Amino acid sequence: MSKEKEVLKTGQSKIKKKSRSQETWRRFRKNKLALFGMILFAVILLVTILADVIVSYDVSVTQVASERLQSPSASHWFGTDNYGRDLFARIVHGSRNSLLVGFGSVIIGVTLGGMLGAVCGYLGGRFDAIVMRVLDSIMCIPTTMLALAIVAALGTSLGNVLMAMTISSVPRYCRIIRSSVLGVTGQTYIEAAHSCGTPDFQIILKHVLPNAIGPIIVQATMAVGSAIISAAGISFVGMGIQPPAPEWGAMLNEARTYMTMYPYMVLFPGLAIGFTALSMNLMGDGLRDALDPKLKD
Amino acid sequence: MKNLVETVDLKKYFTVGTNRQLHAVDGINLEIPEGQTLGVVGESGCGKSTLGRVVMGLLPATSGQINLDGQDIVSCSKREFKKVRRKVQMIFQDPYSSLDPRMSIYELIAEPLIMNKVYSSNAEVLRRVQELMETVGLAERYINSYPHELDGGRRQRIGVARALALNPKFIVCDEPVSALDVSIQAQILNLLMDMQRDLGLTYLFITHNLAVVKHISDVIMVMYLGQCVEIAPSDELFANPKHPYTQALLDAILKPVLGSDKERKLIRGEVTSPIDPPAGCRFAKRCEHCRPECTGRDLKLVDLGDGHKVACVLAGS
Amino acid sequence: MEEKKPLLEIENLEVVYQTDEATVHAVNGISFSLNEKETIGLVGETGAGKTTTALTILRLLPERTGRVLGGKILFHGENLFEKTIPEMRHVRGAEISIIFQDPMTALNPALTVGDQVLESLEIHNTAGKSKEELNARVDELFNLVGIPAERKKEYPHQFSGGMKQRIVIAIALACAPQLLIADEPTTALDVTIQAQVLKLMETLKSELGTSMIIITHDLGVVAETCDKVAVMYAGEIVEAGTAEDIFNGAVHHPYTVGLFNAIPNLDEKTERLNPIDGLMPDPANLPEGCKFGPRCPHCMEECRQGAPYLYKENEHRILCNLYRKEVNDEKLG
Repeated sequence: MSKEKEVLKTGQSKIKKKSRSQETWRRFRKNKLALFGMILFAVILLVTILADVIVSYDVSVTQVASERLQSPSASHWFGTDNYGRDLFARIVHGSRNSLLVGFGSVIIGVTLGGMLGAVCGYLGGRFDAIVMRVLDSIMCIPTTMLALAIVAALGTSLGNVLMAMTISSVPRYCRIIRSSVLGVTGQTYIEAAHSCGTPDFQIILKHVLPNAIGPIIVQATMAVGSAIISAAGISFVGMGIQPPAPEWGAMLNEARTYMTMYPYMVLFPGLAIGFTALSMNLMGDGLRDALDPKLKD
Repeated sequence: MKNLVETVDLKKYFTVGTNRQLHAVDGINLEIPEGQTLGVVGESGCGKSTLGRVVMGLLPATSGQINLDGQDIVSCSKREFKKVRRKVQMIFQDPYSSLDPRMSIYELIAEPLIMNKVYSSNAEVLRRVQELMETVGLAERYINSYPHELDGGRRQRIGVARALALNPKFIVCDEPVSALDVSIQAQILNLLMDMQRDLGLTYLFITHNLAVVKHISDVIMVMYLGQCVEIAPSDELFANPKHPYTQALLDAILKPVLGSDKERKLIRGEVTSPIDPPAGCRFAKRCEHCRPECTGRDLKLVDLGDGHKVACVLAGS
Repeated sequence: MEEKKPLLEIENLEVVYQTDEATVHAVNGISFSLNEKETIGLVGETGAGKTTTALTILRLLPERTGRVLGGKILFHGENLFEKTIPEMRHVRGAEISIIFQDPMTALNPALTVGDQVLESLEIHNTAGKSKEELNARVDELFNLVGIPAERKKEYPHQFSGGMKQRIVIAIALACAPQLLIADEPTTALDVTIQAQVLKLMETLKSELGTSMIIITHDLGVVAETCDKVAVMYAGEIVEAGTAEDIFNGAVHHPYTVGLFNAIPNLDEKTERLNPIDGLMPDPANLPEGCKFGPRCPHCMEECRQGAPYLYKENEHRILCNLYRKEVNDEKLG
């Protein structure tokens, strides 16, 4: 026995165990792109929080007939739109609605869809079959149609738009998580966890989800951008956020007609959505890698 | 010596398709005295892994009894089972897939301790993890490592440490060395035998490697399509195999010696289907001694004395 | 004794895998030769460079990372590294073919097994044979590996592991190659099936006169099938010779001794096994001097410095300083 043993240090151990969150943060920090994404996101978030400090809300909704369709200048950084509203103020204040819809629908959708998918994949059997058939039938309806129908039925409000978009996205997340969970539950380490007496709930939480989460993080971060756009679609047909309240997606829509003559009208809301999506994407990629110890260093 | 583990007519059927039964384990009776090792050999699909999982309660038995330390775990309540559960642990075949890749070595070894609430403080858990790592010969500096950073031998040591964490009495070893290189294989086999000697463990050792099973087992059971065809003390089985299948199995061993180019008695064909098998000897179709009386009725194990039992019409004649 | 012609000669082959983080020295200057109708066994543990050697012979190394740093592979006296890609494509399959370890994944589940055998015949159909002739050859191949030809219309999942390996062998033999490389051909199979497959390979060898390279970690398989043996460790051949030299020779490399001792002996009762101490060295960070040095019970000061001494006696080669003084080797070497 002694011969095969590794050389062990005698005396008190100096090696400390590291917690998982510390390790994850350490690995995340090493990824420069992810860090950049996080800073970008922090800036966007800061703008949202401090919107009223940066520029008053009134500016974003006041229509000045004499200042219609102005190009970016010192007085209007991002120019003005066809009603003569200041685009910078509209983007700053529009961030609240857009981020709320974008993140809200994705976060709630991923959480609900993820949990449902994990339970379905893990338990299998009849429960899985019933849930999946229901979700499949929801998936048959085009996303925007479904969201519109829900908003039309429940009435126009930000909350309802959020709910409509969440419901229409749940099936997709559920499917993604379920398929990766199915892959994980077949692994021997799940059986090994059973054999040492770990309860089902803990197995899902500690073994199944961490190993199945990779694909969903990427999906979710990419979905933020498109969620903002689909919310705009709902606004466009008059069932989402009501004008004149600013919202990035709606701004893009309004700018369509003027796109060739006044490209800045599309450019700035487009950039706002783009940067938000980019920051999420970089962070998401970094997080996925940081959670995977195999990619360490 | 008292038997720590006993099964009586243990059966595990899986339903395939609508109404057909796959007889994975079909009427196994085994007895393992405390501190001893029962080796189970057989080819893939013979039900040996299923047997291990049923015996340790990972899969529910279809019928029969499993007595663990005097408690029948097939019929007992969930709460009683939970108590017994800690006495039985398992070491898995593939150290590459049986360890969660996202857990550090500490988390892996601590999992059984934390989940069973063995200790109240984290410091105690840490101390026990360090103790276990020392027992299985893992240097302490690996405590924060992840499985993918270690080689197969060290990974399997983690598997052993996890199995030992709850101070079990009985360990089911499912092909614990099959995925390892020969030199590492020897290290793990030595470790398992040391553990048995020091901690008085009882093993159910499942493998397809006959040289390994002979080395580690006191008694060997040969399985074919869910049934026990022969059981005997290991030296006796190798010296005096009675069942034609056992004979063929031993004959097929390739020894690392030149000039053993004897004509092997190859068995014809391949394993038949375990789905709704007809009554009679399951080996009959491939057996060169097959007679009319081999089919039509199930064969009982015939006791040849000294613990040697065989299920074959040739035995005793 | 008839004059033996060398079919394959490998000289000083050196292969690395170059990744961003490290250079993995997979094969470090190995040489061996194989005559027609001979079988050589490459023995060693995981990471010894056995499979890399096989892939290099077929020039199938992963393009992005694999690099051949030096050496020659002569097949019929022609250097395979100098062949063009179309020429190499002809060599693969038609002259040299390979059987991989896992028959379960080597076959395409969506095609019938007959079509898969036919496919490899069609690819190398330079003689312009008719469809009927090729089909007749498929039937012939199925009979050769012991599967009834009627079953060629079935799909891989309808066959058991041993049967699948037979089909894989049929595909490998389709164009009657002169050299067959078998990478752990029986590791995934059960003992009784393993015996059947080895028997089949033996028969094929004597009937078709194919030379073989058998890659395995199982000394039992080697004893059963090989004429020559090369024991590999950390990308080097530490001991090579005839099967007689390796199994019955008087002197051995300490690693070979260790390998034999680590296997449980069926004929004697032993209390403890004798594993080789320590672990395989990291191929990205190999030790100075003798690669086996850190695990060797006989390691001496000189072993840690330069490359170890190469002992030669007839065909027997041992790469070890232990034998430096023993034989009057100037005469032989």
